[in-house]
Amino acid sequence: MDKHLITRGVQRSPFWKFILWILPWGMLLGWGLYGAYLCLAEGLNQTNMDNRFAFGLWIYLDLTVIAFGAGAFFTGFLLYILKRHELKSVINSAVVLGLICYSGAIAVLMVDVGQPLRAWFTFWHPNVHSMLTEVTFCLTCYLTVLILEYAPIVLKNRQIRKIPSYLVFEFNLHKLMVVFAGVGAFLSFFHQGSLGGLYGVLRGRPFAFREELGIWPSTFFLFILSAMAAGPSFILLTTWLVEKLSRKRLVKHETLSYLGKLSGIMLTVYILFKSIDTLIWINSTSPSSGFPAFEYYDRAAFGTWVLFAEVVVFGLLPALLLLRKRFREHRGWLITSAVFVLAGVALNRFVLTIQTLALPTLVFDEFLSYLPSWQEVATFSLVIAYGVVLYSVSFRYLPLFPQERELAQSY
Amino acid sequence: MDQATVKQSRYGMAIDLDRCTGCGACLMACAVENNVSPGRPTVNERTGTTWMRVIEVQDGRAFPAAETAFIPMMCQQCEEETPCVSVCPQNAVEVDPETGIVGQIPQRCLGCRYCMTACPYHARYYNWWDPQWPEGMEKALNPDVAPRMRGVVEKCNFCHGRLHDARAKAAAKGSREINPTDYIPACVESCPVQAITFGDLNDEAADVARQAKSERAFRFLSRLGTEPKVYYLSGRSWVQRLADRELARSKKETVHG
Amino acid sequence: MLPWVYEFRWDLGHIIFLGVFYSVVILIAFTLVRALIRAIRDFKNHRVDHIMWQATFEDLPTPVRACRHELSGEVANRTCPNEFDCRECRTHELFLRKNPASPGGTTPRASGEEQLFGLSFPLDRYYDRGHTWVQPDKDGTVKVGLNDLGARLIGSVENVQLPVIGSRLEVHGTAWHVTRGGADTRILSPIEGTVVEVGGPGKGWYLKVRPEGMETAVRHLLRGAEIKPWLTRELERLQFALSADGVGMSLADGGVPVEDLPKSSPKTDWDAVWGEMFLEA
Repeated sequence: MDKHLITRGVQRSPFWKFILWILPWGMLLGWGLYGAYLCLAEGLNQTNMDNRFAFGLWIYLDLTVIAFGAGAFFTGFLLYILKRHELKSVINSAVVLGLICYSGAIAVLMVDVGQPLRAWFTFWHPNVHSMLTEVTFCLTCYLTVLILEYAPIVLKNRQIRKIPSYLVFEFNLHKLMVVFAGVGAFLSFFHQGSLGGLYGVLRGRPFAFREELGIWPSTFFLFILSAMAAGPSFILLTTWLVEKLSRKRLVKHETLSYLGKLSGIMLTVYILFKSIDTLIWINSTSPSSGFPAFEYYDRAAFGTWVLFAEVVVFGLLPALLLLRKRFREHRGWLITSAVFVLAGVALNRFVLTIQTLALPTLVFDEFLSYLPSWQEVATFSLVIAYGVVLYSVSFRYLPLFPQERELAQSY
Repeated sequence: MDQATVKQSRYGMAIDLDRCTGCGACLMACAVENNVSPGRPTVNERTGTTWMRVIEVQDGRAFPAAETAFIPMMCQQCEEETPCVSVCPQNAVEVDPETGIVGQIPQRCLGCRYCMTACPYHARYYNWWDPQWPEGMEKALNPDVAPRMRGVVEKCNFCHGRLHDARAKAAAKGSREINPTDYIPACVESCPVQAITFGDLNDEAADVARQAKSERAFRFLSRLGTEPKVYYLSGRSWVQRLADRELARSKKETVHG
Repeated sequence: MLPWVYEFRWDLGHIIFLGVFYSVVILIAFTLVRALIRAIRDFKNHRVDHIMWQATFEDLPTPVRACRHELSGEVANRTCPNEFDCRECRTHELFLRKNPASPGGTTPRASGEEQLFGLSFPLDRYYDRGHTWVQPDKDGTVKVGLNDLGARLIGSVENVQLPVIGSRLEVHGTAWHVTRGGADTRILSPIEGTVVEVGGPGKGWYLKVRPEGMETAVRHLLRGAEIKPWLTRELERLQFALSADGVGMSLADGGVPVEDLPKSSPKTDWDAVWGEMFLEA
């Protein structure tokens, strides 16, 4: 039915099957849109956030998906600037994932702020000292870059590329991709960092506050490193998942293994600095502001196991596994390690968003709990469903995996 | 621009916790003065708006030895590294260099609530609902203070409306200096036991400057380094030790150890 | 944001932050405009066909992009960097100079039938990677047609769209289109020149083209001893393409592809096979 739209020489499931797959996600999308609509129309009283828990599920989601989406800039940088050609087979998929993550995050941010129509104020009179300003500027610029990187992939659709003007434009745009890759890496460096700085500058929240290195708190650099660790793992995992779901080979194992290695190296560096940072924070930063660090881990379910899980189980362990070629060659270990890397980074974002706000500051404060409302969950699922739908459509109609045709012929 | 040359006053407060009875007159007066709308029926203490809270604390001993203190808590007007100012992406929070007052500009606020997460005193409030007043009550609104809309953050600004008033009075007399007795925040005015003193901390002769230097004075979370301009006074050591966690812990150790 | 907007300050923070921001915005806009200008220029210079081929070539799997000197065994491993256009290729020139007997430098025989794997590949002409041939005529024109494998792959066509007489062809631009079973396949032109005559129903599907300077016009085309190793690879590729979709059609070893392949295996995804074999994405 839609065969004329599908890239030549690749096999896609029949149209009805595709619709059957999209349908539940479409319904989830509809539910999410309704939840988001309620939040916009009725206000944020629809959420379970409050004056004390002013950030919630959404900010956590934003931080996490943006870390996962870092694969787009990192692979772009490695491929176009450092000329690591082995990444050519996943770059298109990485761009789509990046676009999904960033556009999803920005969409949720627009629901999260109380006055979305005033978002342009940040551009009009920016407070250049705020991490959020840096984030806003970089995210908008980088989303533009991602759209420009996604455009050539769309223009490569079998029917669209037949239009000569599109083809010629795509060709010329693609030739300049190195510029976009460079700009993307530059912008990502700053906004991944600023998202970390977001918490690191909170002098009033000693659980999150960190010493400054230059003009940025240490979390600025830790976020960049952890995002660079999470990005390749996310590409690895999604590629594997798409291979499983579509029952096709899309990339060579070497590529996945290389992605795992990248993740492993970045994670090792990250864990090293994270450990040093944690020690300085426990022994100096936190006590010097009147907050004994062990008290943070003395409340509700948030024991020291959280720190242990973040640094050792989901940090050191997958890092060591991914550094060994033997484990990378084994599919099961490779995928498990990638899942652990992502879990560790997600846990880090969770701890910084949720634990920071749950912990008391004043002596007579209480440890707070927060459970998102269904409207918040719906808006969260909106991003997930949107991502699945956009990725599925892109996978079906656009050449996401250039090696697919070759691999299909090689068994 | 050198702020030191522009800064003329540093408005601050001193609250005597040994006098405060926890009657709550200050927070009522504050709400009336600043057009804080009454909460919806579904509101709770975490979603409602009140620029000032009165927190009850106990020393943990059993009756009849138990002691209670009440802590009126509002924006502490941090002077250094003001946490909420540096985080606001669009300059909706600013420290007035002439008065040292941390001001919130609701008309410019995006509602991102980043300042709320930055504030260690939880002194900032978000408008989760549209403001609403019962039939007829809107006639009693203070015409000097603009009500805030849904989706923006607000907080104590030492009754900015009253500062404007005082300045207008001074200007009418052809003076640039306001008369200190013309500028008194609503909470200070309403306190039946005169527990709250307000004034210019730069003015050595002012009561507030003297009290801030008293041995009974302390500030909450002063080790964060934000130099709040709201001082609390108490002669009771257990109350003083509520200032931060490290101190609070040292007390526990002496009790148990 | 701008010096005259409230809250703008001429301090270091503002200057650095906004300076970087505006540089990024200008760089993005400039790059976009540059791509647009280049696209318009390419259009004006009639480079559309050339670009279409370049884009396609980039997407071809590496083994397909093998240099002709790898096919002939003169070099172990070399991927063509020039989109199969040896006319300006320095390396090709070097190969021919170093090895005067290189098959790439020979001229076709005057006549002669040649059977390769049961297919008719006469050695009196040049062959292009897109399964067309070029046969020079005495009057300085050349005849262009589908080779035997190409003809059997397409079989009996439903519709052929030939270029109009007088139009220009580019190397690896579109020569003509064939349609069968709703799928449209582009046949790549092996040569550059002006169309002077076209075939038609009954006359066969061919073009007569007048190239400029015969010597260079055919330099990139395969000939003589180059044909067999290339064809071997092509048949292997065809076998893979046919087995890829799981229908399981196979060219038996040593068997001859039948006259009309699509007719013999209607379930195969021929659209994909044609795209693969006629080097079209």
